[in-house]
Amino acid sequence: MWDAIVVGGGLAGWIAGIRAAHRGKKVLIVAEGVGTLFYFSGIFDYGDVERLRHIPKHPYTLFKAQAIAQGKHFVQELCPEYVEKVKPQSAFTVLGTVRQGDLMPCSMALPDRQEQGEFVLLVPEGLKDFFPEIVAANMAREFPGWQVSVKRMQVDALGEWTRLGKSVSSIDYAFIWRSEEGQRALAHEIEEIKRQYQEAGRSQEKIVVVLPSLVKEYFDASRTKSYRFEFALPVLEMSSFVPSPHGRYFAEYLKHRFTDLGGELMIGARALSLNAESTSQSPAKACQEIIVQSLGKSLRLKGKKFILATGGLLGGGIKVGMERKSIREGVFDLPLFVPKEWSELQFFGPQPFAQIGVETDEFMRPLDPASGQVVWDNVHVVGRMLAHWDPWTQRCGGGVSVTSGYAAAELI
Amino acid sequence: MNSRDELAARLDACQKCNVCTAQCPVAKVNPHFLGPKGLGPDMERFRMGQIILGETTLDDCSNCKTCELTCPSGVKITEMILGARRAASQGPHKNTLGAKLRLRGYVLGRAEYLGKLGVIWPTMANQVLKIKLVRLALDKALSISANGPLPAYGKPLAVRVDKEARNGTSTSKQVVYFPGCYTRYNEGDTGRILIQVLEHIGYKTIVPDFHCCGLPLEANGQFEKAHKNGLYNLELMRPYLEAGMPIITSCTSCGLTLKEEYPKLQATAVGLIGAQSYDLFEFLWQLYELGELPLDFQEVQASYGYHPPCHLKAQRIGTPALRILRLIPGVKIRNLDAGCCGLSGSYGFKAEKYDKAMKIGSALFEAIKVGAGHGDFQSMTTECGVCKVQILHGTGLPTEHPVHILAKAYGLIN
Repeated sequence: MWDAIVVGGGLAGWIAGIRAAHRGKKVLIVAEGVGTLFYFSGIFDYGDVERLRHIPKHPYTLFKAQAIAQGKHFVQELCPEYVEKVKPQSAFTVLGTVRQGDLMPCSMALPDRQEQGEFVLLVPEGLKDFFPEIVAANMAREFPGWQVSVKRMQVDALGEWTRLGKSVSSIDYAFIWRSEEGQRALAHEIEEIKRQYQEAGRSQEKIVVVLPSLVKEYFDASRTKSYRFEFALPVLEMSSFVPSPHGRYFAEYLKHRFTDLGGELMIGARALSLNAESTSQSPAKACQEIIVQSLGKSLRLKGKKFILATGGLLGGGIKVGMERKSIREGVFDLPLFVPKEWSELQFFGPQPFAQIGVETDEFMRPLDPASGQVVWDNVHVVGRMLAHWDPWTQRCGGGVSVTSGYAAAELI
Repeated sequence: MNSRDELAARLDACQKCNVCTAQCPVAKVNPHFLGPKGLGPDMERFRMGQIILGETTLDDCSNCKTCELTCPSGVKITEMILGARRAASQGPHKNTLGAKLRLRGYVLGRAEYLGKLGVIWPTMANQVLKIKLVRLALDKALSISANGPLPAYGKPLAVRVDKEARNGTSTSKQVVYFPGCYTRYNEGDTGRILIQVLEHIGYKTIVPDFHCCGLPLEANGQFEKAHKNGLYNLELMRPYLEAGMPIITSCTSCGLTLKEEYPKLQATAVGLIGAQSYDLFEFLWQLYELGELPLDFQEVQASYGYHPPCHLKAQRIGTPALRILRLIPGVKIRNLDAGCCGLSGSYGFKAEKYDKAMKIGSALFEAIKVGAGHGDFQSMTTECGVCKVQILHGTGLPTEHPVHILAKAYGLIN
């Protein structure tokens, strides 16, 4: 019997699992694949929290401002490199454009645009889906007062890749930079850049090296190994194409934090359905166990509480049939809020289908939209599965996931 | 098969997100390897057009199944690759492996025959395999790496048959144990300890004269022999399965094969094998949940690093050994979860793959060395026999099957 079983291994699920395990609870996370964190840029968007809290039914309306702040602090406790500033911070995207973000690793945060200096875009040989000319042009446009130069570098360990003309994913490069050999190569390269500027008599200028595919944060399986990354010049990280190295190392890091706290991960297992009995006192039912498909047999997993963190339409938590003839939440078969019209012509505008999800009470327990009654007493819905928000136009995906995951863990 | 499975089995479910390749331990170290997405769903389209790839491209896959676990859409990637290998082995001659590699596949696939030979005179076999010249000869003649950590042989595990159980007339609680070649020929002690543990908790153990489960045969391109072994073993299990008895495995690769491959065979008992096969700790956890597991544990003051084998993860049952071991007072255990050890059955024994296998395992070795160096744990534990061999080879740290820790707690061994 687990204190809580979390279904889904995305941001909301991991935060819920880690916080509950942190509180000494026995927690199991059941995840079908590696989860959407592999598409995570490394940056948390919270959006305009105050404005969003005034939009009727928005998930932020379920939480007090203090609860939102607590979730944020928890992320910062987990990731001490995520430093919050008074002003919103910005980072380079993989195309060299600038995007704002609310919480990001300090090594991603861009310098002041009012200053003057030079960006040296360090381009690892054969980095997949990376276009230095476009990136440099965008950087120059975004920072008019700054010069941008491009420098390419090779790593011995990837000589065979270069010889074959095979591209190297940013995840593989991130792995190299985190190895001693890679750190040495990088330190040498940056030392060389500094020397060249000194020889040209420009040592007084502000020079910032920008390196795609670098991830300095998050410990890995060795837990205690420190990444020194001491370089002769400041080095900026930027976000990457998917699958993203920041996402990958963040996901691995969360997994290790979770299992080190005694939590258990059951990966590859799909939650199929649940078993429950209704109590006569209230219309809400209590779930006793969920049925999970393992290899060859289904397992019955008993829990006191269940956290549904399976994502929405994109994450696979909500399944839509051909021609939208059916729409269904996949595990508990919860009632869904579905707008009459799903889409609007303006592609990048707010799309109604983004609002699809489960409506809940203030404890994130699922509601029947028709009657307004709580459907399950001991089920909490978190993350993208919640109804009435739009992570793309409201830019609050990380914020809603962290806040709801953290708040659900407090209820275990 | 429900509709979701059908969808997943179809290659259209692959969205080309590349997460499998990002997680593939082989793609990370071998630029010649197309990666799971490339070799699985991408090439599958060409294969459907009857373009049969050479076996050599395909056998870079170590069959660890990480890609299948990683896939957010449930695509059966390794199944596609294995299917392609099967087709390639029967394909036109120019695409197939040379005689030397074919012979190597024959030898490495037959862990069982090697085991039977090795245990005739284990000390002799072990001594011979330690001779540098012998290893060099194996390297030259069969491309079996002179550096690979070939496991040692020991006193074999004896067969134990119970006629009453087969007739369904036995009154005591019984289980069937499928020890697998490694436990049977290389590490009989683990098998004997496991039987003691089962006895202690009230179960009589039957060990029929099983053949190799078939996984090493498949991994080495011996598909027909693997198929025959499966049918033979299933027939041996049939009376026990029909009597409702659980089949217990302690080797995670045997367990995977029983649960994943055997249900696909054409035999009478296939409907039962999946649901009645258990990893030892999966079985013990089920007893614990029913309140039937004796909890008369003695304190065991020891700390361990735990390595979850790829083929345990592939069974999709979590880490039941950790659940049980954490019930024992004094035991401290950290789930390192640092990825594949690299050996992957017999993959790392192959001359051209040895270095890559060691690179694959480097993250795990580092996690072990750093953790042990900080005094976080003194030794390692993992279910898989060859993972143990590789961990010892890569780190020098002693590694034991978790059943040893449980046996200590029950006071069955010191």
